[in-house]
Amino acid sequence: MTSIELWNHCENPYPFVPAEVLDAAPAVRASLPNRYCEPEIAARLYDEVFEEYRLCDELGLHIVTNEHHSGINNLWAASPVITGIVARMTRKVRILSLGTLITVRPDPVRVATEYATIDVLSRGRLDIGFVKSGATEMVSGDANPMRIREREWEAIDLIEKTLTSHDGPFSWEGKFFTHAHVNIWPRPYQQPRPEFWAATSDLPTCAELGRRGMVNTLLFGGYTRTKQAYDTYKRARAEAGLSPPGEDRFSYMAFCYVGDTDEEALRVGQKIPWFLTVSIKSAPQMSKFQPGQIPPEMAPAAWRGGASKRPTDLSVPALIAQGQMFAGNPDTVVRQIKEFRRRVGGVGRIIMMTRQGLVTHAEAEKSFSRVAREVLPQLQDLEPIEQAQVAAGAGA
Amino acid sequence: MTTMRAGAFEIEVLRRGEGRPILLIHGVNPVSPRAPFVAMLAQHGEVIAPSHPGFGASPRPADFDTMYDLVNLYRDVLDAIAVPAVSVVGFGFGGWIAAELAVAAGQEINRLVLVDPVGIKISGREVRDIVHFFNTEPAELNRRAWHDPGRRPDGVYGLGWQATISDAMTDAEMVTLARNWDSLCVYGWKPHMFNPRLGDWLRRIAVPTLVLWGESDRIVTPQYGRAYAQRISGATFQAIAAAGHHPELEQPETFVEQVVAFIAA
Repeated sequence: MTSIELWNHCENPYPFVPAEVLDAAPAVRASLPNRYCEPEIAARLYDEVFEEYRLCDELGLHIVTNEHHSGINNLWAASPVITGIVARMTRKVRILSLGTLITVRPDPVRVATEYATIDVLSRGRLDIGFVKSGATEMVSGDANPMRIREREWEAIDLIEKTLTSHDGPFSWEGKFFTHAHVNIWPRPYQQPRPEFWAATSDLPTCAELGRRGMVNTLLFGGYTRTKQAYDTYKRARAEAGLSPPGEDRFSYMAFCYVGDTDEEALRVGQKIPWFLTVSIKSAPQMSKFQPGQIPPEMAPAAWRGGASKRPTDLSVPALIAQGQMFAGNPDTVVRQIKEFRRRVGGVGRIIMMTRQGLVTHAEAEKSFSRVAREVLPQLQDLEPIEQAQVAAGAGA
Repeated sequence: MTTMRAGAFEIEVLRRGEGRPILLIHGVNPVSPRAPFVAMLAQHGEVIAPSHPGFGASPRPADFDTMYDLVNLYRDVLDAIAVPAVSVVGFGFGGWIAAELAVAAGQEINRLVLVDPVGIKISGREVRDIVHFFNTEPAELNRRAWHDPGRRPDGVYGLGWQATISDAMTDAEMVTLARNWDSLCVYGWKPHMFNPRLGDWLRRIAVPTLVLWGESDRIVTPQYGRAYAQRISGATFQAIAAAGHHPELEQPETFVEQVVAFIAA
């Protein structure tokens, strides 16, 4: 039997910059002056989201933190700092840092040290997530946007070795990182190490996650891309002669709002796509013309007139239809998640992005309470997705 | 376009004309056979213009990723040309390579021409000497790079090329521009387009040097160019009017006149 875990992910957005400022700005990330960020408002937002995390701990909803920089979409900025606070203020739930930007940070050993510390102080409740990152983050972090996939894997390898080496200093002389004397204290609480996740729909990366048995999460991939990614993961394991993955190896992040009624959920849920309509506005040099953003062969498709990757219809019903949002009354949302699970060939960990855009603290807490009371219980002890179905899907 | 062997590498090269070799080291994009200055210069010697690894049709080996690699590759190119007196002309980013090459292997060069080169740090830590190639809005880059963007030869691309993309371009052109841009970033993102130590070592350049500068260059200004020239013993600084970062493209006649007069002297 399979039970689906539910996780809460909030990026702590800052939707308080005047619209005329955002309209005039070439990018709302990386280059928007921080005079538009009022510290008193930021402090209130931190308080509110930490309160939501405290509620999630009581309700049994696990917690995700991440980081983005210099923009209205995300006030976390330093995931290990925030994760350490969450670790100290919660008692029960798991905490996933998804993640600090290892393609931007110069020293993976320092990252491993931060995560080991959090794992100990949370008594083993930490999961570690990795993201390749890119775009505005390369600008705000002054990190070379080229070869970040290779850099990401070397950082992961060094972090893993750092977390699992216990017999005194070792030396690392890699392509991107060198560290002559690695020997961290404390060592992690979990043995051999905390669970590793990675957020990606990049198929070669999904295959490598499969071979390593890491959790593969997708962000808003929708039905087709998500199934393609999961199938790639499964196929890579099969080709390497490894055991078939459980559903807990697969995770999916979607917008989510649970109301008392479908009508309420659709009304409040429509505040969430601010994430897509406002908070990802970016300048061309930080997006389609940034080196490494797309393979050169894809440039004509990205550069020619009218090229756009974004979904055009951002209404809640359209996002639900594309599998990018779960919204409705509790039973509706249970049906949507089960349908998603069936269509992608199994998923064990759903990450809900709820406190996003213009959704208020009170609205977010109401949704979390309904999720815990009426959605989560209906996602326990589910019939397994038949292996035959998975195998058939793998060839699609 | 043909290929040449340089040490362990097989790279794309444009060759035009005959006589004394004139090695062109390109900037953001390889030297285009469509650029009028190429044929003009080829009347005075053999123009040899390789494409750096990762540019044009030249492959870039996975670990070939630093200015150190490029300088040593161009030492291999000089060996492959196998003439004791090569004139070297470097443009923009390629001017940086040429300056590094002249510091490291000056004895194999008989004349050095630097055309709006980047590569050194002049001002204080809070003043940017070189407009950021990768983090500047394309239209702004285009404005700063040209005296008159309308004078750009058809099908030839300099800095700010992103602002000139049109559906009339072929897919192959776009793929090549994207690949060149990626490769430039591998070599030049950080520190952005300079070697913090090169400025002090320019004093090792003993070969006669001409520093040519587009008077309207607002990517790297003529003031930066004069400071560059001052660090090279005996170098001459010459501004070219009505030209920006690519005087060889905006004022090909004046450019070729200046270069030929200098390398023939």
